[in-house]
Amino acid sequence: MKVVIELFGASRDFSDKNSIEFDIKNNSTIKDVREEILDYLDLNFKGNKNFIKIVNSSAFCSNDNIISDNYKITNNEKIAIIPPIGGG
Amino acid sequence: MLHAKIIDTKEKKLSIIEAENFISSHDYGASIYFTGTVRNQNDDKSVIGITYDSHDALVINSFQEIYNEADQKLNIKDKSVYIEHAKGYLNLGEVSIIIAVACKHRDQAYVLSRYIIEEIKKRSPIWKKEHYQNNDSAWLKGNPIINEKN
Repeated sequence: MKVVIELFGASRDFSDKNSIEFDIKNNSTIKDVREEILDYLDLNFKGNKNFIKIVNSSAFCSNDNIISDNYKITNNEKIAIIPPIGGG
Repeated sequence: MLHAKIIDTKEKKLSIIEAENFISSHDYGASIYFTGTVRNQNDDKSVIGITYDSHDALVINSFQEIYNEADQKLNIKDKSVYIEHAKGYLNLGEVSIIIAVACKHRDQAYVLSRYIIEEIKKRSPIWKKEHYQNNDSAWLKGNPIINEKN
């Protein structure tokens, strides 16, 4: 199945687009998606350490709610990555 | 009463006058206006501007939650609050956030204004990308989001 990761803040540097799409196994969780993103960064940015740090310290969001690492993703779901914040 | 909005910098600038129009009322004797502006220095780097990014829906939810919490946590029930945050590019000196509060008394207004900005810093998904004089730019590190519901 597919999952679309919408990029925000520092994670926008992961792609020229606003989102990245991944093919994932059925019943995948946020924990699995985090691993997918890390693999993608390894492949495309030679494991850029700053990028890895961002992914490991990010939260994820679905339907405008922060979700846990155990959250089960449904097919074609849009998930936002929420890197460390700092507005004002 | 709450006004909460994200403002695209390409469309308009944040306005203190609009904030004043919203919170003004004969019910309140104390008003505080907090603005955040783009400054020219950060970590010994010469900043020329900042691009703000935001997850709009989560940010508006967080503003609403913070406003509602003032009832229980601060026991400030009668209040008018205006919060706007910019999204997009801002030059030096331009306003990135306005928090205007009106309460019956000054002690409540000071406490509420400070509470709102500190909670926004912790909980509202907003990001800053600084642009420097040497044409470089960098996203600021920030802090992992704190989710009040968890």
